[in-house]
Amino acid sequence: MPLVNNLHRVAFELCRSSSDAEDLVAETVVRACQSYATLRDATKAKQWLLRILTNTFISTRRLKKIRQEVPYDEGDGSFSLFEELAPPSSQWGNPEREVINKFLNEDIDQALHALPEEFRVAVVLCDVEGYTYDEIAQTLDIPVGTVRSRLSRGRSILQKQLYHHAVERGWTTPTKLPKRKSNDKQCECE
Amino acid sequence: MTNNANVSNISCEEAIDLIAMQLDKFAGDVERLALERHLKTCRHCFDRLEFEKLLKNRLTGMKIDISSEQLEGKIKALLNGFQ
Repeated sequence: MPLVNNLHRVAFELCRSSSDAEDLVAETVVRACQSYATLRDATKAKQWLLRILTNTFISTRRLKKIRQEVPYDEGDGSFSLFEELAPPSSQWGNPEREVINKFLNEDIDQALHALPEEFRVAVVLCDVEGYTYDEIAQTLDIPVGTVRSRLSRGRSILQKQLYHHAVERGWTTPTKLPKRKSNDKQCECE
Repeated sequence: MTNNANVSNISCEEAIDLIAMQLDKFAGDVERLALERHLKTCRHCFDRLEFEKLLKNRLTGMKIDISSEQLEGKIKALLNGFQ
């Protein structure tokens, strides 16, 4: 049953609920049995099952309309937690790394759970499960460019959620002090 | 192998894209070398790489080992029903 355990783990990472994860795996197995004829290459059974699982996850969530509302705007994928937390260039130290270490697993879990489904699937497969862009593209049957774009937007939303956690807990203040921006050419790289 | 002299200078904006590619193991030799070269002279991007690495490690740490005899039993029953 290693394949089932693998599906179960990804299902749990997506649902964050044991019963929902078990239901998702069971539904995946039922759908896989019903569409077994569409599996052309048995060596790709794992990817095929994972695709059924992620599609089932997304469609079920949409059907039940249980998509968690993202409390902050999705933005264009350019939000960077680092840029918000890093001190101005004149200061020493790395407070941004300390903030990352302060987050509890529950904070990260909550931020992951708040992602819209397509973005959550991409972030879970890449950042939690360690799949490559190619593997995700094949699994989800989408171009690599789409994988990268979903990852970029998903990470941006995730980082924004974490930033608000940090502000709420007083680990940082939402100041608008001039910060060193990545493209304002203050570094010595020119 | 890429000759270091042929590695182009990149901007911080390009470096940020390459940082994600590097951490996701998607960067090729040319991109990796260009990023390495940039990081040698740009503390800001170096700090950003370290930060993104830490964050990614926290996310990878969310991976869990899971197994459920109850689920395995349920799956076996489902599969038997299809045979």
